[in-house]
Amino acid sequence: MSDPRKAHEQEPTTHFGFQDVPESQKAEKVAEVFHSVAAKYDLMNDVLSGGLHRLWKRFTIELSGVRPGNRVLDIAGGTGDLTRKFSSIVGPTGEVVLADINDSMLKVGRDRLLDKGVAGNVQFVQADAEKLPFPDNHFDVVTIAFGLRNVTHKEDALRSMLRVLKPGGRLLVLEFSKPGNPLLAKVYDTYSFSFMPLAGKLITNDSESYRYLAESIRMHPDQETLKAMMVDAGFERVTYHNMTGGIVALHRGIKP
Amino acid sequence: MLITGLLAGVETGLNRVLSLDGTALPRLQALSGKVIAVRCQSPAVELFLLPSGDGLQLAAQWHAEADCTLNAPASSLARLALSRDKTAVLHRPEVSLDGDSAVLLQLAGILQDLELDWEYELSRWLGPVASTLLAGHLRVRVGLAAGAASSLRQDLADYLSEESRTLVGQREADARFAELDQLKLALDRLEARIERLSQRPKPDA
Repeated sequence: MSDPRKAHEQEPTTHFGFQDVPESQKAEKVAEVFHSVAAKYDLMNDVLSGGLHRLWKRFTIELSGVRPGNRVLDIAGGTGDLTRKFSSIVGPTGEVVLADINDSMLKVGRDRLLDKGVAGNVQFVQADAEKLPFPDNHFDVVTIAFGLRNVTHKEDALRSMLRVLKPGGRLLVLEFSKPGNPLLAKVYDTYSFSFMPLAGKLITNDSESYRYLAESIRMHPDQETLKAMMVDAGFERVTYHNMTGGIVALHRGIKP
Repeated sequence: MLITGLLAGVETGLNRVLSLDGTALPRLQALSGKVIAVRCQSPAVELFLLPSGDGLQLAAQWHAEADCTLNAPASSLARLALSRDKTAVLHRPEVSLDGDSAVLLQLAGILQDLELDWEYELSRWLGPVASTLLAGHLRVRVGLAAGAASSLRQDLADYLSEESRTLVGQREADARFAELDQLKLALDRLEARIERLSQRPKPDA
């Protein structure tokens, strides 16, 4: 007979912030974080980034090249910032799918978009980025903003995104990255590990989720590593743009 | 990133102004999905305008083909932004249009026809009574100022042309110009007549 403890010990581990956890537990732990922060997610984004997240997302939309009639997939779409803008651009002949693995975030996003009158060309789908439930060659543009670092198997997720993209389609990955300037990196570290958990405690009464946010950013691949991962997954013409000194980077790849 | 931030601020202000006109946003909705590229030659700057029912989106770059591209120097673009007659600026020789010019002309038409209901916006902040009082007061003051400016301009023109005789009056100048035009035409006729006489073949002796 097999010993379940041994089976558990043999399971590959992955990082959850600075901790190592069995791979099967990461999604559950990430889900707990987002269930906890969903209600005040937008407020916290504004507070922690000083409103800069709006400019990062705006730049993503500019680089997406989305046109009327396009089909767009917004993975880890959360509260729907990108979806709202894409919905306006693709128009009634296009379609935007807001996908998120976390049902709390999806509900907040859906309610927020419906309250703003965004409907008709938007669908809401609870989906895992590693196993996207869409046909091959289906989307013109796929975006994932501040979501890839929470995915357990990033390579599988990138391959899954490549599969659902049409040939010539574009993937845009907006994610925290590594600041280029050592001085900025030091200031950013102090900010991340001191102010972010404190703000989380004061606003959402949950400092642990924001400690995880800071830790998960440090564990996420830097600009060049993520670029190499996208190339390995099969994307071509992969480029990246650093924003705010490299605190955030936007990677863009084309499906051949 | 700085330009993106700047454009985001300008866009918010612009859309706020557009929302003061009851007809602008529904008319912009008809242009939804269109991309207008504005290329300034000196200095070299590119700007993309994307109209929609929410207003105008401004972008420093847009990775999709533009429906219409406007090429013009900064002075013409400034004139286009400030001038009341925008279509006249678009027909100037230094301004060129590529693609579907109807999109740009339609957008220029919408911006030209803007009638901003600033009293409504004021009433949202101050309430109906205060805004009516303030608007009435402002209207009287603006009317007085416009009247005074017009009167001053007329008095100054009269003084310079009639009293100090520093400048020639408008009507007098027009009459002189008309006489000069007549003289020029008469000279042209005379020149043509002399030319014809000089070319007439001489009769055989």
